[in-house]
Amino acid sequence: MVKNLKKLYWQISTTVFMVFFLAGCGADNGNGSNNALLNATNPKPLNIAAKGKDNAETIKKDVSSMPEIYDVAVIEGKKDTLIAYKVKHMQRFRMKTIEKKLNKRLEKKYPKENFTVSSDYKIFLEAVRLKERIHKKGLPKDKAEKELQKIIKLQMEMT
Amino acid sequence: MGNKQNKVTPEQQKYQQLQKKHELKRPVLKNCIKAFLVGGLICLIGQAVSYFYIYYFNFTEQTSGNPTVATMVFFSMLLTGFGVYDHIAQFAGAGSAVPVTGFGNAIISAAIEHRTEGFVLGVGGNMFKLAGSVILFGVFSAFVVALIKTLLVMWGVL
Repeated sequence: MVKNLKKLYWQISTTVFMVFFLAGCGADNGNGSNNALLNATNPKPLNIAAKGKDNAETIKKDVSSMPEIYDVAVIEGKKDTLIAYKVKHMQRFRMKTIEKKLNKRLEKKYPKENFTVSSDYKIFLEAVRLKERIHKKGLPKDKAEKELQKIIKLQMEMT
Repeated sequence: MGNKQNKVTPEQQKYQQLQKKHELKRPVLKNCIKAFLVGGLICLIGQAVSYFYIYYFNFTEQTSGNPTVATMVFFSMLLTGFGVYDHIAQFAGAGSAVPVTGFGNAIISAAIEHRTEGFVLGVGGNMFKLAGSVILFGVFSAFVVALIKTLLVMWGVL
């Protein structure tokens, strides 16, 4: 009985180890949404707003210049601008301070813009997915705007 | 206490010395390492479940906590029912009791233990014998903290 159990433990632990090990081997370092949770994706800023309002590029540069942040996705819509970012591992203890600092900086530089700022992985993932859908499937701008609003609504959810 | 020790007969003293000699020392460090590793592994699985919910469902990092906890408790309940969790707990000790999976184990093991007493008085009455206090403490302390926060917000401190 004990021998069988030991065998079972070994089998379970080897299986768990192999699953994680092989999963690690299988992950390629592409920049797609498949790896957005694990790798730095650095997606290009996106502007789905009407012409004449294109701050996405400069906003991304501004946000990326913060030393605590390493991966930034910016989507500029008609009314709202979504900024999703990842915080460096050891800096994650100071998440709220970083968000406050970023909000202050953005409000000062772009007082007219309406920002939705999030460090949530899901929001980042959805931003990358939306960008992919626009580029690969040619999602029209009005639908893209609707999708952006959905992401912003998702960001507001607390429970 | 001092008087009692004085009354120990030479035979008793001899026996105590013999007992001390043969007593097994508790391997505290080894137990800690085991608990750390298994507890960490459980948390790793929890993180994977959390990412699963983030990736394939409409849950954010903030909202994925609830379904993750439910899933982990459900897993541990199944494992307890199949008799696997007992062996893990024997090996890992606190490493398997402290994470939320220990909560599922506490409910189901009590339910299994009292199954012979019937479904209502046995299972129903004793299911929360161990976990009930945890739930009560959690709910009550959350209530107190929420009350304090509400008062602080009302007074404009926060």
